[in-house]
Amino acid sequence: MKVLDKDKIESFLNRLAEDADVFVPMQRGPQTGFYSWGTYDEDHDDLMLDILNVYIPPKNIMIPPHARMGENSNEPGDRIIFGIRSCDVRAIDLLDEVFLTQENEGRYYKEQRNKTILVASACYYPAPSCFCDSMGANPVEPASADVVIHDVGREGYVWESRSPKGAALTDTIADWLGEKEIIMPQIPHLSRGVDFEGVFARLLDYSDLPLWENYSEPCQTCAVCIYTCPTCNCFDLQAQTWRDQGYNFNCYETCMYRPQSLMKGLSNPRIAARERFRNRFLHKLQFFSERYGQPLCTGCGRCTVLCPAGIDIVKVITEIKEHQQPK
Amino acid sequence: MTDKDHKCTCDEQPLVPTIVEVIDIIDRTPDIKSFFVRNADGSGLPFQVAPGQCSMVSLLPVGESMISCTWQEGQEYQEYAIKRVGLMTDELHRIEVGQKIGLRGPYGNGFPVDECKGKDMVFIAGGIGLAPLRSFIKYCFKNREDFGKITILYGSRSQADLCFKEELFDLWPKEPNTEVFVTIDNAEPEWDGHVGFVPAYLEELNPSSNNAVAVVCGPPIMIKFVLQSLEKMGYSDDQVITTLEMRMKCGIGKCGRCNIGNEFICLDGPVYYLRQLRDLPAEW
Repeated sequence: MKVLDKDKIESFLNRLAEDADVFVPMQRGPQTGFYSWGTYDEDHDDLMLDILNVYIPPKNIMIPPHARMGENSNEPGDRIIFGIRSCDVRAIDLLDEVFLTQENEGRYYKEQRNKTILVASACYYPAPSCFCDSMGANPVEPASADVVIHDVGREGYVWESRSPKGAALTDTIADWLGEKEIIMPQIPHLSRGVDFEGVFARLLDYSDLPLWENYSEPCQTCAVCIYTCPTCNCFDLQAQTWRDQGYNFNCYETCMYRPQSLMKGLSNPRIAARERFRNRFLHKLQFFSERYGQPLCTGCGRCTVLCPAGIDIVKVITEIKEHQQPK
Repeated sequence: MTDKDHKCTCDEQPLVPTIVEVIDIIDRTPDIKSFFVRNADGSGLPFQVAPGQCSMVSLLPVGESMISCTWQEGQEYQEYAIKRVGLMTDELHRIEVGQKIGLRGPYGNGFPVDECKGKDMVFIAGGIGLAPLRSFIKYCFKNREDFGKITILYGSRSQADLCFKEELFDLWPKEPNTEVFVTIDNAEPEWDGHVGFVPAYLEELNPSSNNAVAVVCGPPIMIKFVLQSLEKMGYSDDQVITTLEMRMKCGIGKCGRCNIGNEFICLDGPVYYLRQLRDLPAEW
């Protein structure tokens, strides 16, 4: 097995950064997220390859929070997302569904995606909030990753290339990899789970469940669940002028805020927090499934951990299922 | 949609507007103006539009709005009838002839004109709601032999708020086998026409539901009661067409705000049969 030495990880990242922009999980100030290795500052940043879910999901790399449209602002060269977890790899697959299939594929997104190499890190010690295997991701086998690294303790990282892109990357860094026989760790058991099967068929009959009322009541519509969700992809378009030129920008948007669906004459089809809350969950669990055949949730657990009101998507799904069962 | 191979800007850069020039502006009512546009270099139109389709009209740096477009084959300009209701439209009402604005589209499915052929048409509109229907009405008159009897019922708050007066009172009533009824909400000294709300007038007129299709557009409250009246008059859910409004930004079903259920209004709508709406959450 090809093994990468843990002690050399920083110089290894330096080597990768020679050919590509490498994004690694770091703690920066109070925030954790994927930041470019080129901006790593020893005094202020901490490299956190062991962290499970950074707060800021890697969708920030695929869809910038704020970008000018119609212009190709891409920097040349490949981009590597190093240490991305299985749930986030799956989230990028779901973003691909939105921006690369059906009508009007996003040209900017496509270019970004084509030059992005995903070096995923297998999760052998999932967090208590994780439920990715219920939502179709496998914690140690990220489906569309180009390379998977397995943390095997003191022995280092087992390097496993899984795609042509990954093989090409492996060739360029072959002299960094040693050859060792490793006993692979056991496949983890996730403590949380939810049986998603059949939920959205049920939602059709229960779109006015009392649970929307109950769960949305503590919701403060702060939208932390949206900004930290690796799959939430709604965006806003804004126009600005600079000198004598006009530009369109796109930026993140959230369905938790009232203006999202506010129309002229102050009419708003989703004016109550309850309606926006319901739309968010139905979008994730039902509407997206109807359009793209899979739910828009990867089980990363960020929204559950970060929600100040303690709203838990697993409980919402479970309750929908319970409502169906005869008493 | 009839014209699949339309020429538009959506292939390369779907969200970048084409620059067009405003060649004429007409005051329709105190708060509705019609803007006539064509390509900024004078070379015709940025794209072709089917009846009921919309375009995104943008005025930098204020913003963009989804506006229903009126255009017919052979015309060298597109018309947008726009009511002054908010920030962007307010600013738009201040521009002058010759100003350049942005345009992208066409978006949406448009009216099912082919499915309506051979049927009696009942158009019911209130206020600015006549603007989207107007392109369909014009289409019917252009292909007059394809459609049966045409009934147009239009209502507005007052006499001054009646838009497209010339067409309502002079042009359309002269068309063969066509009846036009106009009503205003409250009586006025110089008005000798009908006074009353659209749904009540509709029940009074009671156009036969036999082989007919009703097309409804107007303020939400009017739509709500017109739909009830139509049901009472025997129109089935397959005989009623309406066009919806939601807040839209991208126009191509990506930005995720104009959804009602799993339908994106900008992509799958804005025109729906009532039957389709019955399956969706009651947000429309």
